[in-house]
Amino acid sequence: MAGEVSALSQLVDSVESMKVDEKSKQQNAAAAADDASDNSSVQITCFSDIVNDVTLHFQIIRLRNQIYAWIGCDSAKLGRVYAAATTRPHNTVSVTSIIGGVSDNTGSGIARRIVLKTGLNVILACNIPKDSLMLEANAEKKLVEKLIDLGYTRPKAS
Amino acid sequence: MSVLEQNFPVVQKKLSVDLKGNKTDIIICSYDDHFLVIATQIGTMGTILHARKDADISVHPTFSVSVIFGKRDEPMLVACARQLIEHISSSGTSQPLVLSLGLKDHSAETLKGIVSAVTENRLW
Repeated sequence: MAGEVSALSQLVDSVESMKVDEKSKQQNAAAAADDASDNSSVQITCFSDIVNDVTLHFQIIRLRNQIYAWIGCDSAKLGRVYAAATTRPHNTVSVTSIIGGVSDNTGSGIARRIVLKTGLNVILACNIPKDSLMLEANAEKKLVEKLIDLGYTRPKAS
Repeated sequence: MSVLEQNFPVVQKKLSVDLKGNKTDIIICSYDDHFLVIATQIGTMGTILHARKDADISVHPTFSVSVIFGKRDEPMLVACARQLIEHISSSGTSQPLVLSLGLKDHSAETLKGIVSAVTENRLW
């Protein structure tokens, strides 16, 4: 139990300290921009990862001004859907649940933190079961890493 | 941790059509328990609707369609979702549909174009 708590707090620390690397972000953004101008402005990225015997599937659909992301935990059910974005005043992040999310709001925190870290307007669908904090944190970390890697993030206003 | 790239469990299709001079990107995804259709001209998901077949044991199925995010005063969007869910249902599956429409105009012509583009490229 103590081991799990310390592992969780280490993971939370590493997620919170993730920073956008300016140089690689610019290179990726340039590559993504070339891609976008070539064909449709929609880019779909799918990948899966195995974490502690659980398979996490990630689907990222990038629209011109919004990102749709789906996180699947072992199954391909849609799960709960949330919308999150920065809102007036002061660009505070707001989240709302669109489908599900009444008694189980696993995923709303992920949606909110994606917007905090990346500045994107996000619709997130997630079927991670509730009470799996490690899984949720791992999924969030993988997704945010990928979004940064793909160059989809917006630079923060200083 | 190993990365699996093949056999992604969600089947998806992406296409682009021109509707009344507006480039429309359409994405269709098939999950285990839902179909997701995104049709956008404005670069965002726009209005999101949910449509499902009612669990009735009767000869003529009935459907429930509602706007769950966005414009609630555009009947043509609801009509579009209604047409698509009926099409889905008539192909034998009772999975609900999540439809997202980010459109510049809500004319009947545009929405008919979307319905036909989606049904031509359907995943059901």
